Amino acid sequence: MRHTLLMLLALAGLVGCSDPGWRTKDISGLMPPLAFELVNENGKTVSAEAYRGQVTLLYFGFTHCPDVCPTTLAQLAAAANELGEETQDELRVLFVSVDPARDDPETLHDYTTAFGPEFVGLTGDRAALDALTRRYHVTYGYGDKDAEGNYDVSHSSAVFAFTRDGEAQLLIRESDPRPAVVDDLQRLLARG
Amino acid sequence: MQWFKRHLMWGLTAWLWLPLAGAAAELAVDNAHLRLLPGELPAAGYFDLRNTGDTRHVLVGAKSAAFERVVMHESSENNGTASMKRMKQLTLAPGERVRFAPGGYHLMFMERTRPLEVGDEASVTLEFVDEQRLPVTFRVVSPTFTQEE
Repeated sequence: MRHTLLMLLALAGLVGCSDPGWRTKDISGLMPPLAFELVNENGKTVSAEAYRGQVTLLYFGFTHCPDVCPTTLAQLAAAANELGEETQDELRVLFVSVDPARDDPETLHDYTTAFGPEFVGLTGDRAALDALTRRYHVTYGYGDKDAEGNYDVSHSSAVFAFTRDGEAQLLIRESDPRPAVVDDLQRLLARG
Repeated sequence: MQWFKRHLMWGLTAWLWLPLAGAAAELAVDNAHLRLLPGELPAAGYFDLRNTGDTRHVLVGAKSAAFERVVMHESSENNGTASMKRMKQLTLAPGERVRFAPGGYHLMFMERTRPLEVGDEASVTLEFVDEQRLPVTFRVVSPTFTQEE
């Protein structure tokens, strides 16, 4: 059974690689469709279905992250700005906080608003976050608290991109140049 | 007596400024900016630091009246996972240039003591061993600020 699964993944990988058009990493067939049950910025429970019909980007982080998270989100905001206003409505950047202890809906709302209207803050309890991070084979963890109670949170650095149908398509990394990201997003958005 | 005290104070102040002059002459900072985040979230400080002298200098931290605490950090990525750790010090050899830039070295500014807005300037003092101090003005930039290489 395990071997069959590996074979299928390898085959799916080959299919994915057969499309040379993508400029960021094509992960189609390698990762499952977007699925989660999380809490949004309004404190309401939402599932991935709420974002079907839009191209979605998925990024894990935390708001008390001074360096890496805002850098990645600012890069995505800059890429989104190059897409034009009409397409921005069809793109959602899902910022999933893996630090629910500090990131309540209000904090998440203020945070994502600073990056743009296409940014959506989500979080959940450990079970919901574990389910979603395991689904995409990424990890997160908490550092020791300092004297003032502050702590670092480790999180995955890449951004997953999904089609309007919620299928996993791309893995966008920090090293990907902006034109490559813009091209790939345009291509994802161009699909009906 | 008051007169004497005042002049003694000025004299002492002048002495305190002497080490600063030494450090300032041998250290150059460019492109200092502080990227603000909403509310009380910690901000990041970035800059280029050059040792233009012929002795080494060791950066041990920073202070700013605009924040309760400033911590030196280094971000790193390991197998696709990002994390950061506190740095105690950073040595600059003669002629060495070090970049505090996204994804690597940065200052973390915590707990604002006064409101700060994009476009403001924040005074920061870089602290080196041997009590050397380097005052630097950071311009405050927005969360979406990106720097093109």
